Amino acid sequence: MTTYLELVAEKATGRVTDEVRGEIGGLVGKGGVISAPAELRTYECDALTGFRVVPALVVLPESTDEVAAVVRVCAREGIPFVARGAGTGLSGGALPVADGIVIGLQRMRTILSVDIENQRAVVQPGVTNAGISAAVAKHNLYFAPDPSSQIVCTIGGNVAENSGGAHCLKYGFTTNHVLALTFVCPDGSVVTLGGDSLDSVGPDLRALVVGSEGTLGIVTEVTVRLLRKPEAVRTLVADFPDAEHAGNAVSDIVSAGIIPAAVEMLDALAIEACEKAVQAGYSLDTPAALVVEVDGVAVEVEAEFERVQGICQANEATHIRIAHDDNERARIWKGRKAAFAAMGRISPDYFVQDGVIPRTKLGATLTRIGEMSERAGLRVANVFHAGDGNLHPLVLYDSAVPGQAERAEHLATAIVELCVEQGGSITGEHGVGSDKACSMLKMFSEADLTVMALVRAAFDRGGICNPGKILPTPRLCGERPGPWRPHPLEAAGVIERF
Amino acid sequence: MTSTSPGASPATSSGTTIARPTTVDEAATVLRESRGTVVFRGSGTKSNWAGRVAQPELTVDTGELNRLRSHNPADMTASVEAGMPLATLQGLLAESGQWLALDPPTEAAGATLGGLLATGDCGPRRLRYGALRDLVIGVTLVLADGTVARAGGQVIKNVAGYDLSKMLYGSLGTLGLIAEVVLRVHPRPEASATTVAPSSVHAAARTTLELLASALQPSAVDWVGDTGQGAGDGQLAVRFEGTRAGVEAQTAALQLMLGSAGTGAGAGAVARTLVGSDENRLWQEFAAARMASSGQTTAFAGTLPSRLPAVADALARAADATGVRARLASHGALGLHVARFTGAPADQARAFDTWRRAVLAVGGTVLLRDRPAEVDEVVDALGPAPATAGLLRALRSRLDPDGRCAPGRLGSWL
Repeated sequence: MTTYLELVAEKATGRVTDEVRGEIGGLVGKGGVISAPAELRTYECDALTGFRVVPALVVLPESTDEVAAVVRVCAREGIPFVARGAGTGLSGGALPVADGIVIGLQRMRTILSVDIENQRAVVQPGVTNAGISAAVAKHNLYFAPDPSSQIVCTIGGNVAENSGGAHCLKYGFTTNHVLALTFVCPDGSVVTLGGDSLDSVGPDLRALVVGSEGTLGIVTEVTVRLLRKPEAVRTLVADFPDAEHAGNAVSDIVSAGIIPAAVEMLDALAIEACEKAVQAGYSLDTPAALVVEVDGVAVEVEAEFERVQGICQANEATHIRIAHDDNERARIWKGRKAAFAAMGRISPDYFVQDGVIPRTKLGATLTRIGEMSERAGLRVANVFHAGDGNLHPLVLYDSAVPGQAERAEHLATAIVELCVEQGGSITGEHGVGSDKACSMLKMFSEADLTVMALVRAAFDRGGICNPGKILPTPRLCGERPGPWRPHPLEAAGVIERF
Repeated sequence: MTSTSPGASPATSSGTTIARPTTVDEAATVLRESRGTVVFRGSGTKSNWAGRVAQPELTVDTGELNRLRSHNPADMTASVEAGMPLATLQGLLAESGQWLALDPPTEAAGATLGGLLATGDCGPRRLRYGALRDLVIGVTLVLADGTVARAGGQVIKNVAGYDLSKMLYGSLGTLGLIAEVVLRVHPRPEASATTVAPSSVHAAARTTLELLASALQPSAVDWVGDTGQGAGDGQLAVRFEGTRAGVEAQTAALQLMLGSAGTGAGAGAVARTLVGSDENRLWQEFAAARMASSGQTTAFAGTLPSRLPAVADALARAADATGVRARLASHGALGLHVARFTGAPADQARAFDTWRRAVLAVGGTVLLRDRPAEVDEVVDALGPAPATAGLLRALRSRLDPDGRCAPGRLGSWL
């Protein structure tokens, strides 16, 4: 049988020649092509800045037709292309391919229509996540997925990554909020996936494309589901003597039958960074804090909020701060959402991971991460979605210290592998991208990856659509791909595998 | 050859060999060691939906593939083999005060998790909890060549790799055997109450949109009634679930809304609120309206929620023009409708065809479900192929290159 290795071999060999450059320039509007080396470098990476490749050409189309026309040229010439939104992705999903084309969608940022009574909107891919909610706020509606980067990240990127956010425990992910997609296939044909109806007849291609990280085609219009804003929202920050107590409080809340809108945990290091950056009012002397939000129908929210406070107290919360108005709630969230960016305040560099564990293993896993951090001699800050077990350990290091970056990378990888060993996942919302393609073998068998590669090949026969992402390739993961070799640190006995 | 396969039994009189694997590996072996066309079967409650598969050489029956693999109440996840009946699973989850938030009409007839995922069957409470597509977090798929592949995982939040579990939603057995399913489960709500009122479909549609725009959070908004000449009012039912106080407050708010909007003749005055066994009985009646009795035709349609009046009017016209009786059961706030036709098969077929054209014309989708055999002589079960047919064919030719799985189920589309 064919294996995924044959299917994902990067075989696209087309080149962006002067003729191609000229042809594509004629397909898009003025200023729609970037080819000066200095400007191309702006596109060499997304928010995973450790991986950089300068593309041969950047195209900025303004319509579905323009995207399709560019893709048709790529298909004809066998030129690889990579779609890109705002470039806020954390897994290198928008990493360019050398000699390939980046199709930037930031010029397509129009909200095409809003259907208030059916609670949906049709938007172009370059519209920002927060921009959708802002546009419909006057109708008491909002778009539920809320990744931390929502002020700048685009809905096209959210669809590619199946983005989550703090509120997905209750409201689900992007995939649960996308009703239809205008989709440019890798051969340049245009189809609609999904539609007015919640269900299509036959396999659900819309759901397959959401979260496919730009490897199946390019989404040029998105119909999103809008939710009615809840009648009531209550938010608190509870401090705990340690992460274990905080984790137990989360379990008790869920066991009580309450599904909070959000449950976030920050440790002391993360709080220190956030407070330095945005002064959100978190306690600087607490080892762990939980942000808990409940929303819904007023009478239920009040009762649940009371119970949440009782559960926090029963788990030895040392302090509970209740947001008394929308401003204070916004301040709490500003602190939480600034966490990654705030790390610069306490460390020159950091790696962020996105592993998921079954929530019940939270306390034990955090303890292990603490031990691993100590052994490696590197600080790890933890800020994460506690309700769904989605960890975001931030491994802090200083690239100016020889060898530290490498040690940090190994520690970050060991943490993610620990998550898989606990029955979890290598990524909860950031995507596999370039970053974690080689780790896929930790989580999936060769047969699993082969079936995924077959699905990909059904869409992209020529292997031109964001190659090198998601599935491990011989080039990315070594000529003999397989599980990661033992870490040098592991071999040296500095860290151990659990 | 298949008779030597694990779990395979001798060919039946209809010429199909029935295999009853007891493990995923056995299922894989059966498929690997056989040739020819194959259908996958759970409890058979939906085996006549969509196009008909002519004389499959092999039927893989998941009746023995029916175990609970895991249930982690604190993580709110469970994994089951595909042949596990939903009703059985609900009983097991109930021991921990949980449930799979899915209430399809075929549950009472024994519908299995594999069949439910393959067909996308759903119920009224999809409004609050989503469809099985939204509740499935992992899957084990066996391809026609016996390849066993897993996707997703055991955790609710996970974006590693393609979401094949959601791809299989609605696949109708055309891509391979769904062998295991991992699910997100929910705590059972503390209280539930349903308010039901006689209502014309037009009034019900107005109330539905008003409810959607309100701060109320119903878990179901359904309308069931006859359409066409001489049809009286149907019934509008609105369910609230949550804490006792929340259900009471929302029910009171709904009754105010019904009183002022008027869902028919003095609806506010005759609205009844049901709990417990009365409530269950009402929803059983509503579920029954979406099932076909012998000789009837059912079809499922999806539209924008605001199209409910257009869908109902088109059904009334189609029924009147062909002399059949038609009943509509709509999850109004979701824009999902089941039409049921009663009459001479050829007339049912014509009524269905007329209605399908009208639904497609307003941007909807239609899937023909149960019907008498004669209906297929008059109408094409699938209707016009969508623009995505090329992608569906490409997917099929990669995953099942010999076209073994349920040929004809998606008619001429594949």
